[in-house]
Amino acid sequence: MALGDLEREVMTQLWGAGEPLTVRQVHERLSRQRDLAYTTVMTVLDRLAKKGVVTQQKADRAYRYVPAQTREEMTASVMLDALTASDDQDAALAYFVGQLPPDALAAAIAAATKRK
Amino acid sequence: MTALLLGALGLTLSLVVPNALAKARWPDRAPVAAVLLWQSITLSAVLSALGVVLAAPEEVTRAAGSSKPVTEAVLIGAMAVAALIILRLLISLAGVSRRSRARRARHRLLVDLLDRAEQRRELGPENLRVLDGPLPLAYCVPGREPRVVLSHGVLQVLDRPQIDAVLAHEQAHLRHRHEVVMESFTAFYRAVPRPLRSRKPLDAVHLLLEMISDDVARRVVGAEPLRCALEQLSDPVPLAEDVKTDPRGDARRRRLDRLDESHTPSVALNALAGVAAAGLLVLPTVILVLPWLDRALDAWPL
Repeated sequence: MALGDLEREVMTQLWGAGEPLTVRQVHERLSRQRDLAYTTVMTVLDRLAKKGVVTQQKADRAYRYVPAQTREEMTASVMLDALTASDDQDAALAYFVGQLPPDALAAAIAAATKRK
Repeated sequence: MTALLLGALGLTLSLVVPNALAKARWPDRAPVAAVLLWQSITLSAVLSALGVVLAAPEEVTRAAGSSKPVTEAVLIGAMAVAALIILRLLISLAGVSRRSRARRARHRLLVDLLDRAEQRRELGPENLRVLDGPLPLAYCVPGREPRVVLSHGVLQVLDRPQIDAVLAHEQAHLRHRHEVVMESFTAFYRAVPRPLRSRKPLDAVHLLLEMISDDVARRVVGAEPLRCALEQLSDPVPLAEDVKTDPRGDARRRRLDRLDESHTPSVALNALAGVAAAGLLVLPTVILVLPWLDRALDAWPL
């Protein structure tokens, strides 16, 4: 299984949990579907923490991991990033849809997240 | 004389020609050649500026009948200024591509994590990512590991042929490395001093690249699904009623108009614009710069 897929599944577990999880808890949840080494899960969580998408909390003697943003928040910020990439800021991304004014977009995304 | 002519050429190419070309509609029928022409105009304007910097001091000292040491000093100074201009352009280009790369890498990381893999399995491409959310959104993240990103909203409002049209469009951006073209124009835009700066080439080239991708998508899936996709994705987002219509609705109209049956690409226009692009680069050099170089080399200090 590719590392990228594993990172995504770990994030899905953390987002779904609604509370900080230890490496062991993440490992248990993922092991329901497949055979996975404990150390692999630890490495993946460590990588995600280094990338700043999960935060490490020290509780008792174990580290617990929690997403830095909810899935909805992260989705909104990614979309905002995609849509505000004007050529003025650098030609970062290319689009099929035209740009909305950033204010309107922020409002639209806020509305979309609330509706859920 | 050479400096004056090159100066006039440079100013024409950076102030007059871009306005005319941005207003013209023929590029819609020959977008590839039009992009080449924009590149050639920009490059030729830079070369003219360099030519002025090199030729003007030499011509002035020669006309004034200055002694050889003075002429030599002036030439060296002129070359230093020319080197500075080139350096500034290169630094600007390096900055733009470094920032874009960093931003794309971060963006790619996040869309990989957010991806709803189960929703894209039957859609095909390995590099596709699907985001949650009803806001219809489709774009690509260029780079060495490129991604095409669709929102769930796109999957809801478009049918399969229309989605294929969108995917073909985005893959064309990635395959043809359109971001490199945009980066070079952005870098040039930023390197030019403010009073001479114009967004015209940036906006025009951006639209032309969209048209080029549209043409690829049309060849793959036909004009009709592409047109429907373009129309539906451009619908005002129904999530906020007071959203102003797309500020570049004009650009979208042009893209839709080209997808009509009657709107055919023109081989002649492509050839003509291609020749013009080549001519812009070659002719000033041959007519103006070579004769001057011939005279100036007499005073060459090294």
